[in-house]
This record gives sequence, C-alpha cells and structure tokens, in this order.
Amino acid sequence: MNLNLKAEKDQTYDAIVVGSGMTGGWAAKELAEKGLRVLVLERGYELKHVEDYKTAFKDPWEFEHRGKISIVAAEEHYATMYFSAKEGSQYLYTNDKENPYVQKRPFNWIRAYHTGGKSLLWGKHTYRWNQEDFLANAKEGLGVDWPIRYDELVPWYKYVEKFVGISGQPEGLAVLPDSTFLPPMAMTAPEVHLKNSVAQKLNRPITIGRVAHLTKPQPWHSAVGRATCQFRNRCSRGCPFGAYFSSLAATLPAARQTNRVTLVHNAIVKEIILDDKAQKAKGVRVIDQNTMEVREFYAKVIFLNAGTIGSTSILMNSKSARFPNGLGNDSDQLGRNLMDHHLAIGARGDIDGFDDDYFFGARPGSLYIPRFRNWGNDKRGYLRGFGYQGGATRADWSRGATETGFGSDFKKKMTQPGPWKINLSGFGEVLPNPNNRFTLSEDQKDKWGLPQVVFDADFGENERAMRKDIMNDGAEMLEAAGFKNVVAYDNPVAHMGLGIHEMGTARMGKDPKTSILNKFNQVHTCKNVFVTDGSAMASASNVNPSLTYMALTARAANHAVEQLKARNL
Amino acid sequence: MNRREAVTQVAWILGGVFSAPTLQAMSRWEQLASTETGSSKPGSFLTETQHAIMGRVAELIIPRTNASGVDSPGVDSPGALDVGVPDFMEVMLRDCYGKPAQDLFLTGVGELERKGFLTLSPDQQTAMLTQIEADAQKNSNPSFWLISKELTLLGYFTSEMGIKASFDYQPIPGRFEAIKIKPGQKDFMYGNQA
Repeated sequence: MNLNLKAEKDQTYDAIVVGSGMTGGWAAKELAEKGLRVLVLERGYELKHVEDYKTAFKDPWEFEHRGKISIVAAEEHYATMYFSAKEGSQYLYTNDKENPYVQKRPFNWIRAYHTGGKSLLWGKHTYRWNQEDFLANAKEGLGVDWPIRYDELVPWYKYVEKFVGISGQPEGLAVLPDSTFLPPMAMTAPEVHLKNSVAQKLNRPITIGRVAHLTKPQPWHSAVGRATCQFRNRCSRGCPFGAYFSSLAATLPAARQTNRVTLVHNAIVKEIILDDKAQKAKGVRVIDQNTMEVREFYAKVIFLNAGTIGSTSILMNSKSARFPNGLGNDSDQLGRNLMDHHLAIGARGDIDGFDDDYFFGARPGSLYIPRFRNWGNDKRGYLRGFGYQGGATRADWSRGATETGFGSDFKKKMTQPGPWKINLSGFGEVLPNPNNRFTLSEDQKDKWGLPQVVFDADFGENERAMRKDIMNDGAEMLEAAGFKNVVAYDNPVAHMGLGIHEMGTARMGKDPKTSILNKFNQVHTCKNVFVTDGSAMASASNVNPSLTYMALTARAANHAVEQLKARNL
Repeated sequence: MNRREAVTQVAWILGGVFSAPTLQAMSRWEQLASTETGSSKPGSFLTETQHAIMGRVAELIIPRTNASGVDSPGVDSPGALDVGVPDFMEVMLRDCYGKPAQDLFLTGVGELERKGFLTLSPDQQTAMLTQIEADAQKNSNPSFWLISKELTLLGYFTSEMGIKASFDYQPIPGRFEAIKIKPGQKDFMYGNQA
C-alpha cells in the first residue's frame, strides 16, 4: 500500500500534456511558465533539434536517388507522396504501413510520430481568422455557433504571434486581419505585376505570404536559440537555424528553460483515467511503444494535444460508467464534423517578358490572395470562400526533359534560367457535416492492441461548387495580368486529409448537448480535461489553422492555471 | 480526367522537378496495377551492352564540352559519362520506377540494341535519337525517350561535377531579393530539391 502510494506520488505532476507538436509545445510552455510542473507525453521517438536533422546540410549529390523516393517508400508513404515525398524529408513522416487505419472513404492521414510532431512538416503560412469566420456557423445555421468571437482571441493572437515570429506585410484588410509582423519577404517582378493587375482590374488584394520565419529575430527569439532565415528553402528537412517556428525550435526549448518540464517519449496514451464520482480525470494510462509496458501518470489537469485524430481517439477510448461512449460524449458529437481544407486545385500559366528579371535566394513562402468570394457584396451559390497560395518562378534545368533537343547547345541552355511560370493554388473552406466522421474500429487493432481509426468522410456539394470558382477565378486573375497558356486544373486525387489540416471531431460550443468542449476548451462534463488542437474547431475558415490553435492553447492554459489557483479544478 | 493526368498535374502544383512521365512512372497506382513488383533481377538492371548503349545515349544528350569554345585544356565541362549517369540510371530504374515504366524502358533500349546502335556513326546515332524524340513527342504518354532524358538530366544536373560546372551553386543564400539578370548569367542552384 505504502509502496503504491509512493509510486503514485512519483508519477504525479501538476499537469499532463499529451503530444509535443504544434499545440503540445505551447501548452507545455505556458503551463510551465506559469509555475506548474508539467509532464509531456510523446507517443513517438525522440527527435533532437538540429542534431537529428540529418539531411539538413546535405548537397543534392549526397542523396542516392537525388531527392526522389523509392517505389517502396512511395507505397508506404503514399498519403504524403504528392506533397512531401522527398528523400531528404521522408524520415520525418510516419510510415502508413506500420500504422494502418481503415478508409471507408479515402482519407490521407499524414502523421509525424516524434518530438515536435507535424510542426516539422507544416507549410508555415500563418494567418489570423477574421470576424466573420467566428460568426458564419450562427449566421448560416450550420454546425454549432462558436462560443467565442474574434475579439476575444485578439490578445491571444498578439501574444503567440510575438513569440512565433511572422514575416508579413500589414494590409489593413478585414478579411485577413494583420498580425504583429517581422519584415516581409520580397516578391519577384512578375508577382508584383500580377498584384498590380489584379488590384486594378478585379479590385482584389494580393499580399506576400505571411509565414512563420524569422526575417529579423527579436531578443526573445534569440533567447531560445533561434536565428535568421537563410533562404535555403530546405525547411522540410528540419531547420538547423531554428528559423521557422516549430515546437522543437521554439516552444519546447522555452518550456525546458523553466526546469519544470519532463518529456517522456514512446508513450502512447491509451486512455484517460476517470474518477467517476468527482467527474474528473485523475491521470492517463500509457503504453510504451517499444516495450509494451503499461504505466500510469497522474495530474490535476490534462491537456490533449495529440493532433485532431489522436486527441479525439483518446477521448473515445476513455470509457467509464459515467461515459460509456467516450469521455465527454453525452452529445454523440465525438468524431463528427471532421474537416480539412480542400486543395490541389487552381490555375497556372506562362509569362512572356521579364527576361532580365531574376531573383537570388530560395524563398520559403509564396504570394497570398485572401478570400474574395461571399465577402462584402459578393454572393455566390455556395457558402464560405477560399484563398490562394502560389507564385512566379523561373524554370530550371528540369524543363529540359519535355523540351525538344539534346547535345551541347541544349546542355548550355539548361544552365541558364528558363522562362517564367506562375501557379495559384487554392485552399477552400470545408463545411462542418455530422456525417463526415471517424470512429474506432470494433475489430481491427493496431500492434498495441488499440482500435484502428476508421475514416468515413469526403467533400460535399458545397466544396464541389466552390472548386469551380477556384479554377475559374484563378485563371481569370492570371489572364487579367496578361499571362499565357493559362490552364485551370482540378486534381481528383484531392481527398480529405491531404491538406494536413484535420479539424473538428471534438468541437467547442455553448451547449453540452451539441458540443464536446466549452469556450475555454474544457470538456463540458469533465472540466480538468482540455483539448486545444484542431479537434476543438467548430468550423474551418479557409486560412491555415495553426495560429488559431496556438492562440486557443495559450488562452486555455491561462484559464487552467486561473482555475487551479481558484481551486475549481 | 484519369489518374495519370491527375498525377501529371500535381507535378506543377507542388513544384516538383520531375516531368510528367517520371511522376506517372512513380505513381503508386501504376505500381499497384501491375501484378509484379520492383526489379527483375538482383544486381544490375541492364545488361552490359544495354548499359553501354545508355551511356552513349546519355553522352549524346549531355556531351562533354569545351567551355565557350576555348581550346585550353582544363576548362572542359564534364559530360554525362564523366559523372556516372549510366550507373545512376540503373539505380533509379531499379528503385524508383514501377514495372510498367521499367518495361517501357527495356523495350526502348532493346530496340536500340536490335538496330546496332553502338556500331553506328555519331551522326547516325544523333539522327536516330532525333527521330525517337520526334516520335515520343507525338503524345504525352511516358516513353523510353522521356525516361532516358529526364534521368540523364537529373543524374547530371544534380551531380557534384555537373552542378559546379553548370550553375552558380548557393547552398546558403542568406537573403531573398528580386534582381536583374546579367547577360549569359548561369542559373542559381540552391540544392533544395531533395
């Protein structure tokens, strides 16, 4: 008995954070900086900042396949092959074959089971939501109303933006509220031309992409060891300069500086341990991914930051007499309203002229065209809207494969910059739909004996209607700028998940009957469990989501500490 | 639109450096559609003769040249053979191409073997490749010619010698700015394609 009590005490912390990725890093940092002793549980292996970025400084000739991946890897990593299947970054992606899941309808579940999680994979585009994003569900009677509004999140946006470091250009647009910015990245000459043409002829603004890169590090960035972006654009291999924001480069070092954070790896959280009488969580039960050993850890407050599917799976798996259908799931909303952004659609073209224009450096960013559909006086036959990312660049030697010719003149031509090309790639909002969901399999288990995830979700009529506009509007903008050979494209391989922006499945709301989480990301019916990653989202907006997750996490951590102090948890 | 076209289009969207045919050849669905997998035999993918033929083809695509006609020794720009393109081709065909693409390639090289490609004069060889290229460009399907060409370009322009002879290699640019080009300026290469 005494031994048990001692063991329990040794495994007890003030707070447990499940996951070390984009939001887990933030939760750990905030809770620890506010004085809590924090345990971070990471299901994957330990990846050390800088020293484990084993491909970061490799030259092209040092890769056996010169950056391409093998057929075997393409098959194992098939979900990621369109985006990131490169020899240099493959090591950061989780192998689908070893981590199977069920697809009732196609879903690309892209995962990064290691320290830092998907914050090592992200595209780094960083945007605030706007006022309307938080009002849309209520106005249209879709899903549930957000329990918070834009204004409530502004101080938290400001707070996280400062620490993240975002390169961008203030524009004063209501549709794309400005963040606190570091200096913007430059545009190429044809991009400036596009911006001016589209402003003049179509009255649509184009700005430089707002990306989480340090263009001018501030003292608090240097304090955690981060340095200026070197414009190598090898981000996908991990940045040895810590120039782009990731959990590994920024929030985890800050969390560790408190000396109050313990990070445990290879710890797959099986379930939350419930105290049914008190309607509170007591701790978590974990399985070691290598040894299969089962351990328990205890805390006053638990933050789920395992990624949308991961966090909701843990809730589903946490059953008790009080919660037979999963923790906090009185509403049957757990797993429902799975969202992503729909993409792999847009327009591209060629640009005549600008022959003497060129650029130096590899920019890890692009243009951004904010939403203009169903905005202001614009009304379309579908709901919500979309934005574009993309840009203009000069073709390199690889154009030679499809150009006519070979021999010495051809060879010389390939050593000089080719013609300019432009591409605009759309990102559209996906509506909440209760029938887009995932469940846990009744009979198929993973190698740890946990039920496999079963996806049953797809784009609907609204998304398909919007896609027509994404193509046509993209082509129209390129044509307005006088670009040639404009092609609008829509790639049918785009399925849910490909955007790596999984959202929903444990949504926030005002009413426990229709939502899982309250306005502070607490489980309505189990207040010491917070969920602050993508699963909390009640709608999806069309902008990249990470900044909003971070703001929600910082806000929730602040609330958790206030409630602990007030002895309410 | 079928899957092939879909994959082709993605190449540009995502800034891939491979042309459509390679992406198609690498496509998972092609691989899954074929009953067999991977390479035919252990060790080498090509016979010695086929290897020699591909060496000649690659060298015709990217020949060793003298820099801007200056006849001083030591300013040679290396060619495909100098940087080991034929061996690279074998590795790529074995590891990165699905069986349909491998078969397409073997058929093409077999055709050259049947026509005694290695016994032809350089002019005849060039004429033959010119004809093969013209035939290949009649449609956008993958072809022996496109696979040969893109593997030659990839093997050469990402090799250390090829990069240093061809481009202004800048692994750590340190800044990004729009600039004006100088006459005859070499392309910058940042090595970020992997």
